[in-house]
Amino acid sequence: MTVAPDQVDVPDVDEFDATTRSWQVVVWNDPVNLMSYVVWVLRKLFGHPEAEATRLMLQVHHEGRAIVSSGPLEKAELDCHRLHHHGLWATLEKT
Amino acid sequence: MTGPFVVTDAGIQLSVGTDEQGVLRSVPTLLQSGDDAGGRLDYTPHPDDPAADAEYRELVGDDLAHLRREDRESFNDLVAGEPGTPENLEAFMRVIGEVRLVLAGRLGIEDDGWEAEAEMQSDPELALVGWLGYLQDAAVGVLSELF
Repeated sequence: MTVAPDQVDVPDVDEFDATTRSWQVVVWNDPVNLMSYVVWVLRKLFGHPEAEATRLMLQVHHEGRAIVSSGPLEKAELDCHRLHHHGLWATLEKT
Repeated sequence: MTGPFVVTDAGIQLSVGTDEQGVLRSVPTLLQSGDDAGGRLDYTPHPDDPAADAEYRELVGDDLAHLRREDRESFNDLVAGEPGTPENLEAFMRVIGEVRLVLAGRLGIEDDGWEAEAEMQSDPELALVGWLGYLQDAAVGVLSELF
């Protein structure tokens, strides 16, 4: 057990919001990456079954973008980083 | 007819002719030249928020560059004929993808369907983009079987 502090620092609202609210990882269409490669990357990085990875890849291809994962900022940025390492064009959006 | 990769007890080996091996050996130099015409190797998660972008870049530092250097080492080992692990083949595949992105940027490829109009025979760089795509697809096939 610990003693309750006499005084607490209240986090800035924006700072709290940025780190705790959910973010979406968006993969955008590009004309170069192979469909088979994109499916493989989505399976590998996010553990999607092949059918779901294929659905997301086709959504990217036909609609220009798809949301492939979501979560707190830190996780979303890590997902984005891994996608960039695999050559996929990915950005973040607040939900 | 066999594919460009052979899976044995020793590992995964690249199986291409001497000429093709020579081409692949030269491929990483395309990435070292810094000629990323389309900026396709420098994406940011926060394109509309410079402050968040700066914070992100400070956080990841040169991690991406470090990972890419490691990938190229694995790539070079496979091209040299050494048997590799699935992880080595993944790295090989990523390097192939990076080169295709850089070449596509240099060739001004911006829209889907470019393959249908491409004159692969008359443009060596287009032909290279196509052939590297064949290798990458074959690597996906091998890894999918092992996955």
